[in-house]
Amino acid sequence: MSWLDIFRKKQEKIPEVNQYEALFDTELSKKTPIKDLSFVVLDTETTGLDVKNDHVLAFGGIKIINERIKVDTSMESLLFSTKQNVSSIKIHEIIQSNDAMPIDDFVKLLLPYLSTHIMVAHHAGFDQAMLEKLVKPYGLRKILNPVVDTGDLAIRIEHGMPYDPNRINLKDYSLDALCERYKIPIHDRHTAAGDAFLTAQLLLKLLKEADKKGIKTYGDLMRY
Amino acid sequence: MSNVIVNRVKEFLFQYPPFSFLSDELLESVAKEVELMYFSREEYIFRKGNLANPHFFVLKEGSVYLTEEDSGKMVVKDYCDEGDVFGVMALLGNRPYVLNAYAAEDSLLYAVPVDVFNKILKGNSEVSLYFAAGFAAGQVVVRTDLSQSQKARKLFKDASSDHGLSLFLENGKVNFPTEVLSCQKGAKISEAAQMMHDMDVGSIVVLDHQDHPIGIITDKDLRNRVVATGLSVDAKVEEIMTSPVMTMHHKSNFPSLYLMMIKHHLHHLILTEDGTDQSKITGILSDHDVFLSQGNSPAVLIHALMNTWEVDEMKVIRDRAENLLAYYLENEVAIDFIANIISEVNDVIIRRAILLAKKKLDSKYPKASKVPFCFLSLGSEGRQEQLLRTDLDNALVYEDVEDDEKEETKAYFLQLSQEIIDVLLACGFHPCPSKVMANNPKWCNSLSTWEAYFSEWVNLPDEESLIKATIFFDFRPVYGNKKLAEAMTEHIFKAIDKREVFMSFLANNALLNPPPLGFFRNFIVEKSGEHKDQFDIKLRAMLPLADAARLLILSHRQKGVNNTFKRFELLAELEPQNAEVFREAGKAYEIFLRLRGLEGIGSNSSGRYISPSSLGKLQRQMLKNAFSPIRQIQEMLALRFQTDFIDR
Repeated sequence: MSWLDIFRKKQEKIPEVNQYEALFDTELSKKTPIKDLSFVVLDTETTGLDVKNDHVLAFGGIKIINERIKVDTSMESLLFSTKQNVSSIKIHEIIQSNDAMPIDDFVKLLLPYLSTHIMVAHHAGFDQAMLEKLVKPYGLRKILNPVVDTGDLAIRIEHGMPYDPNRINLKDYSLDALCERYKIPIHDRHTAAGDAFLTAQLLLKLLKEADKKGIKTYGDLMRY
Repeated sequence: MSNVIVNRVKEFLFQYPPFSFLSDELLESVAKEVELMYFSREEYIFRKGNLANPHFFVLKEGSVYLTEEDSGKMVVKDYCDEGDVFGVMALLGNRPYVLNAYAAEDSLLYAVPVDVFNKILKGNSEVSLYFAAGFAAGQVVVRTDLSQSQKARKLFKDASSDHGLSLFLENGKVNFPTEVLSCQKGAKISEAAQMMHDMDVGSIVVLDHQDHPIGIITDKDLRNRVVATGLSVDAKVEEIMTSPVMTMHHKSNFPSLYLMMIKHHLHHLILTEDGTDQSKITGILSDHDVFLSQGNSPAVLIHALMNTWEVDEMKVIRDRAENLLAYYLENEVAIDFIANIISEVNDVIIRRAILLAKKKLDSKYPKASKVPFCFLSLGSEGRQEQLLRTDLDNALVYEDVEDDEKEETKAYFLQLSQEIIDVLLACGFHPCPSKVMANNPKWCNSLSTWEAYFSEWVNLPDEESLIKATIFFDFRPVYGNKKLAEAMTEHIFKAIDKREVFMSFLANNALLNPPPLGFFRNFIVEKSGEHKDQFDIKLRAMLPLADAARLLILSHRQKGVNNTFKRFELLAELEPQNAEVFREAGKAYEIFLRLRGLEGIGSNSSGRYISPSSLGKLQRQMLKNAFSPIRQIQEMLALRFQTDFIDR
């Protein structure tokens, strides 16, 4: 044991974490065509926007495999919460439900679900941070999946690379604004699964546009 | 799995047949397996000859063309818009695709795996019928059996929310007595029977001391529970009454009253102030009242017509016949039966009008009124296909008279015709805009003049002659001396025998209006790819078939069969090698006739113009399928009558 470990809060890795980490031993080739990739599109509903103090109330996800959104891969979970935040309840209309799942159980489901898919979310950084906070106590410090943010991807497709951030009105890249622009009827907004489904449809359309702009492989998509 | 997402998919699918026929449970099992795919404009979803995918498609947004290459050119065979189902070949066995599917716009598709659907196909007869009837896009190219189509429509009638197919008229009116015969609890059976006898009614309601209904006694009860059992007529009414009684609120609408009676097999339904049997009676509805309100029986109507000389009353009866028509159409009564009834009613009115006119005029024209004549119905009325009171088309033929009597005879028949037409207009028929009516001096003539007309049309088949031939060749004697009509037919046959080329001209005329390809969103799609927003069902679907049937029957020199679907039936017998296409054409004609009738009743118009936006998915598909025999028949005419040699 190194002396440094004294300062690091030691967390036992649960078996699911070991299995999850092992999946990433082989790297995906940059030349993999986008149509052969698999994505997990997700959304979290949280008590607030502060990663430090807020936590996840609900998780929704659906996968895109070989350019197809597969309904049978969809998932939604309400998480057991110790805190109730009035403002988020107003937005998400989530109150503590009897269906809520203990976090232990959820993490054990989440990691195999994420697998090595490319993780996609709208404002993905936030969802990633919230999920990392959730899995940390189980011995996983970082989510290893490659991450694509649909907001960034839309900007990149519409403005090209590199773009001048000052010329972009971020309001035009909210999930609502993008759904409207890409003609996706908005339903079930502000439910984790509903937003994940909308984001998945958005991704499907964005990937077609990306293809037209020459973004054709995994490497192109991740800008490796 | 996510309920939110599965429900969202379910909700979309449920809007469209065949998914609308699935139970919630089955629909959920389908929704769970759905995959969403997105195609950019100009991408191919599948190509002809490719092995079928393990799923078929429902178009969620965008548009897809089903195409085929024809001598180097892409020809669109079918158009799909939101909610259309296509690529079903995979469902019908592992065969390759017969058409290309091409995204005409960016399109989002729901792919439904065949595996899960196959199970449902086996378990749900409506769904399997949907596919058997060729209701999915592109299927019509493969199969055109309209009998499945018809069967399907009957089955889907209640399940679909398609307009025009609802069982009831929205404002169904029913007349029922509000004075209800009643007696108090404790009364003797003999007293109740005496009251029923005095009032000449078949039922009596038994009331408690608060005048609330507690039971009912009918003629049948007296027969079965008193006479047959030997019960004393001094026994109390409670012993034989049917109790408790079914009641409904007196302001309930007719359909709900009717449904209640049907559901509970009631002969009598009691209406009360608050709808329960704890309030006073306000009326009683019997199944007999319902029967009468449903437009009466045709026999009742015709009987009523035969017993009146009042024009006002004739109009009322004709209006009632229209209610009957609506009821028959909506309830899928066989169309030839409906057409027969309606023509019979119209014919009776015409005959009454003629008799009325004769009564008025004959004394003034002692000689001319003895000249044999025949009143002829023409056009759709002549073909016994006029369901709605659209334009009058008729004519009059009379026997040739000596020169010196000509003037007076013509004057008499013109005046007679004028009187007849006046009565018919008063009965709610509309005048013919091009004045093809017996009161037109041109169309009220002697046999020799008519023969001269026919010869002229046959010998000089210009545009006008051909239009006239199509109207006048469908004449049908309604009143008078039928021999005159027969002589006209014989003359036509002779004229054509001498000039066979006339048939080619007639055929050419029958090909002027090819049917449209189908519907796309709110447009009619023409073969040329052009879009129009209103569909003229008469010009584009019915006339082409009526023209074809007339021509073919004429070519076989058959007489006496005027009705288009009967003509096709006869043609099927005369040409067994083409029986199938003729039968299909007859069925297609029936579909159009029914739809036009429903449309006309629904919109209080001639029903001729139908807006595609008012059609449900099933109706569109049915129409589209029915266009197919028109195309086949037209191809046959072109070939058989060598129309290519005629300049258009």
